[in-house]
Amino acid sequence: MNPRTRHALELILDNLVWFMLVFVLVVFSIFIPNYFQLGIFANIIEASSVLGVMSIGLALVIIAGHMDLSVESVAALSAMAVGILFCSSGIGLGVQLHPEWLMVPVSLLLALAVGGLIGAFNGFLVVKVKMSAFIITLASYIWVRGLVLVISGGRSAQDLAPAIRWFGIQRLIGLPLTAWIAIACFVVFSLIMAKTPFGRHLVMIGGNETATFRAGIRVNRNLIIAFVLAGAIAGLAGWLLAIRTSGATANLGVGLLFNAFAAVVIGGVSLKGGVGTLPGVYAGVLLLSAINTAINLMGLPANFTQVIHGLLVLAAVLLDAFKQTIRQRLA
Amino acid sequence: MSEPLLVLDNVTKNYGAIEALKGISFSIGKGEVVALLGDNGAGKSTLVKIISGGLEPTSGRMLFEGKEFLARSPAEAKAAGIETVYQDLSLCTNVDVVANFFMGREITRKVLGIPVLDERAMEAVVSKALASAGTRIPSLRTNVEHLSGGQRQAIELNRFVHWGGKLVLLDEPFAALGVEQTRRGLDMIRQVASQGIGVVIITHIMQQAFQVADRIVVIRQGVVAGDVARNKTSPDAVINMITGETLAGAGPAG
Repeated sequence: MNPRTRHALELILDNLVWFMLVFVLVVFSIFIPNYFQLGIFANIIEASSVLGVMSIGLALVIIAGHMDLSVESVAALSAMAVGILFCSSGIGLGVQLHPEWLMVPVSLLLALAVGGLIGAFNGFLVVKVKMSAFIITLASYIWVRGLVLVISGGRSAQDLAPAIRWFGIQRLIGLPLTAWIAIACFVVFSLIMAKTPFGRHLVMIGGNETATFRAGIRVNRNLIIAFVLAGAIAGLAGWLLAIRTSGATANLGVGLLFNAFAAVVIGGVSLKGGVGTLPGVYAGVLLLSAINTAINLMGLPANFTQVIHGLLVLAAVLLDAFKQTIRQRLA
Repeated sequence: MSEPLLVLDNVTKNYGAIEALKGISFSIGKGEVVALLGDNGAGKSTLVKIISGGLEPTSGRMLFEGKEFLARSPAEAKAAGIETVYQDLSLCTNVDVVANFFMGREITRKVLGIPVLDERAMEAVVSKALASAGTRIPSLRTNVEHLSGGQRQAIELNRFVHWGGKLVLLDEPFAALGVEQTRRGLDMIRQVASQGIGVVIITHIMQQAFQVADRIVVIRQGVVAGDVARNKTSPDAVINMITGETLAGAGPAG
């Protein structure tokens, strides 16, 4: 095989999800009436912003060889914290700051801090106390959601302050600012993972933790940072969720975790760690969103979505195994 | 012997009630190659881990370049100039050759104050290092999981030759290598030592020890059972030390 075909093949294998996304979009555009519209495509991107942001954090931790099941509950807690402070009806306290725009950074920092703290807690237990990330973050998934119920009393907060809502309403080139925030997150974290020593180290830790420790990489420090980032990013997802729904309910975001997992796996991230890239994850998120939109447009019952997501995850895992065999032949 | 680089003074290591090392004392000079021999379970790998920062000794002390030395982590040992090649390979198979070569020591350039990997510079260094060692790998951008055992070990050996430092510890480095590659590996060790770097090599193969070492240290049941210059002993005598048929410290003319 000459180098050029090898390169071409490797390029296709590395970006398989993107090709799948394009394929799916083309097929839907041809066969589903009204699918091929800029508005629909904008909607696909818009609808995937919260899930997309959450998937980034999850992917970081999984690539580093661990797991964070708590991202969904963390997002809900951050959203609830923002909702309670800055909503004017329901359980909202309606806190006003002057000037009004000050509420934006304050609410954002609050959401990030809530998420970051829980991430630090998870990371500390996993890394320093050496407990399984699966169990620790499963516990967090449960108790953080419980905390949401406790502080909200099961009720909801509505009417988020307009200054914050502005991000969900204001559009730039057809997309709301919340969607741009998600895209910006993907760009920034993709660059961090691909171009900085920190990202490179996370990938290597996910591949062989012992080797990286022996090589003098500060494994524990990097892993705790990854957990804190995952938490803070989940907090950001919660902030976006609060904006999107203009408030927070006690069961906000339930089920997002499994969609995030699906997106991460479809995006080519291996649950064994060390394999996967963030652009792939974004393609996975968009793929899920494109399929949801198609189901809506075709008027199929929404329950089909779950069946299709499940099958997609299966297909992604099988495809991954297939990719491995091809790669082995290439080398 | 030349100026001592590392001196071990009565180093012990207990795992609970088990005494893995009962008090090891020997020294390594600059540019000296010491072969560490001993039966399975004699404590060789434990000793290497203590020097390289993977384990802390229970008692005893070490002097590195005349100063009190204790590595609490591999990072500290590395910072002091101690490189280690482990028996089970320390490669991340999920990343490419270049990333493995530079693991933890990536070349970066600042972009807006943020360190960014300088892939081109790193690739140039790796291809030069591999070429000068005569190792051929089709693409430096191939993930290591797709390379053969010999190629992997070659990467690891080239890595220590490149980084050098002051002291190199090799824990059975040739386990996966063919005859020709082993010969080249032994040459590499001599070449490294000629730069004034101390080398400790653990091996099971007597012939290798006699080919490359200046001095042979035998460990048996957690103590030094023999410490002799290579040219003053013979394979048979060393085997006796390993199995314990002669008294501790005894070499034919030692």
